[in-house]
Amino acid sequence: MALPNLLRLIYRNVRVNTDPGSLIILVGLPAMYLIFFGFGFQSLAGGLGSGTYIDFLTPGIMSFQAVMAGTVGGSMLWADRRYGMLAQLLVGPFTRLQYLLGIMFTSVLFALGGAAVMMAMAFVLVQVSAVSAVGILVMFATITLGAIFFGSLMLLIAALVKSNNAYNSVQILVIFVVNFASTVFYPLSSSLPAALRYLFLINPLTYIADAVRGAYTGTLTATDGIQVAILAVETAVVLFLATRAYLRSDVSLE
Amino acid sequence: MSDSQTVIEAEQIKHAYTPGRYALNGLSFSVQRGEVFGLLGRNGAGKSTLIKVMTTLLRPSEGSLRILGLNPAREGRRIRSRIGVVQQSESFDFTSVEGNFDIYGVLWGLPAEERIRRRNDLIARFGLEDLRRRRSFDLSGGQKRRVQVAREFMHDMEILFLDEPTVGLDVIMRRTLLDSIRAEVRRGLTVVFTTHNLEEADYLCDRIAVVDQGRLLALETLENLKRLYGGRKTIDLTVSGPHDAAFYETLRARLGGESTVTVSGRSAVIMAADPKATLAVILALAQERGVGLDWLNVRQNTLEDVFLKSVGHEGESIGST
Repeated sequence: MALPNLLRLIYRNVRVNTDPGSLIILVGLPAMYLIFFGFGFQSLAGGLGSGTYIDFLTPGIMSFQAVMAGTVGGSMLWADRRYGMLAQLLVGPFTRLQYLLGIMFTSVLFALGGAAVMMAMAFVLVQVSAVSAVGILVMFATITLGAIFFGSLMLLIAALVKSNNAYNSVQILVIFVVNFASTVFYPLSSSLPAALRYLFLINPLTYIADAVRGAYTGTLTATDGIQVAILAVETAVVLFLATRAYLRSDVSLE
Repeated sequence: MSDSQTVIEAEQIKHAYTPGRYALNGLSFSVQRGEVFGLLGRNGAGKSTLIKVMTTLLRPSEGSLRILGLNPAREGRRIRSRIGVVQQSESFDFTSVEGNFDIYGVLWGLPAEERIRRRNDLIARFGLEDLRRRRSFDLSGGQKRRVQVAREFMHDMEILFLDEPTVGLDVIMRRTLLDSIRAEVRRGLTVVFTTHNLEEADYLCDRIAVVDQGRLLALETLENLKRLYGGRKTIDLTVSGPHDAAFYETLRARLGGESTVTVSGRSAVIMAADPKATLAVILALAQERGVGLDWLNVRQNTLEDVFLKSVGHEGESIGST
């Protein structure tokens, strides 16, 4: 039986983007963060409660998968534009919206897959205690939202930026700032300069990391719920902007 | 008037990428089912823009267009599910040649068994056996083109749009490709085909539209196009001497409106209604001006002459259907 259009596009995206090189970047890079930072900073990190630094870092790195998957989404659009497949798909039996949703769902799939790998690695490395079913549900729902947010953000950039170099530069900058100005690697501390603290607070990855950490350790609070709600609103806004920019741009003509 | 045999119907189609500058400027034509319709024109003539409009990638700024009886503005997806398009620019996924066929089959909803059958058949038919495991981006330009065209036959279609499909192909592969298209046409496929290669237009097309600066300069069957100049012959002429331009100006004036003179540097192509009289005028003028004749040749008209005649005289229509 023939698959519906959207599933066909997702199949194609997954197949094209799961070559060894892409997988190393997608999963290998966060895994290396987990191993090198996790064990490397173990001795330095104190004041994290009863857990070890790797316990703290694991949910952060799981959250980071949302950013990585988002960048894959943006790169998919960029590569399809550059190598002619976008125009080819758009003269096929697909709508522009289906194409966009195909990228978005693929990003979510990659984010959840990557997060699951990180979690499995953490279980192997430090034998963490089991996470509750509700906790897993919250973690994966938050990461899904995060993947849509960062996928939309990167699609927005890919739709607006006109050169490959510019796109790559912006992508590297976004990954760096979003990653290190968040609670992925360290908690939000009063010792941070005020400007940096504000950057932490407006960074959606902070909300994702806090909620995922809360679910991972079974310490979810009302603040986490509010942060996820804010993230949902931000995601809706960025998704709207990305869709509008993509549909308005004559990406197929390049 | 539209009927079931008319698969494309365009009325005064215009398209402007920037306001006021028309890439397509009032094109009207129709294409019949099972026809090979050639779009002939120079680079930048508007051929690719017209293909983009007909394949729903672009909306015409003005005019009306129906593809397979459907309105592209409202029923684009239905149209696209019934057409095939090979675009001028390359388009590949980052995988092997075989993988590209497979993925394309999945995208077009082919069941696995049928997908494999078609893939193997096309790979054999287009001589791609040696390349099937190679990555698409490692192929040469001609090989890529072959893969791209072959891949399009993975799915069924009623109209196939080919935007300069033979660019980069060697002579043998070009002929193989054109013959494959002919075979599909015999099974009822309609083909819209852009090219600036006159030989292949001559070989493949039932009707030819000559497009220049977004306008239709000629639209006729190949036979009619040639018949328009049937009584005429072409004279190729190259002169030597310091006053080439003045020589050709005078020659044009003496020949009058019956013959056309297309000048390029020291050479000219002259379409002559009365070749003997034209030769007499040329020889007399050369003697009078002391101009040497480096080359003088009289021959039958070719499609190339018709094309040069069409685009060489902006705005002059030599037939319409």
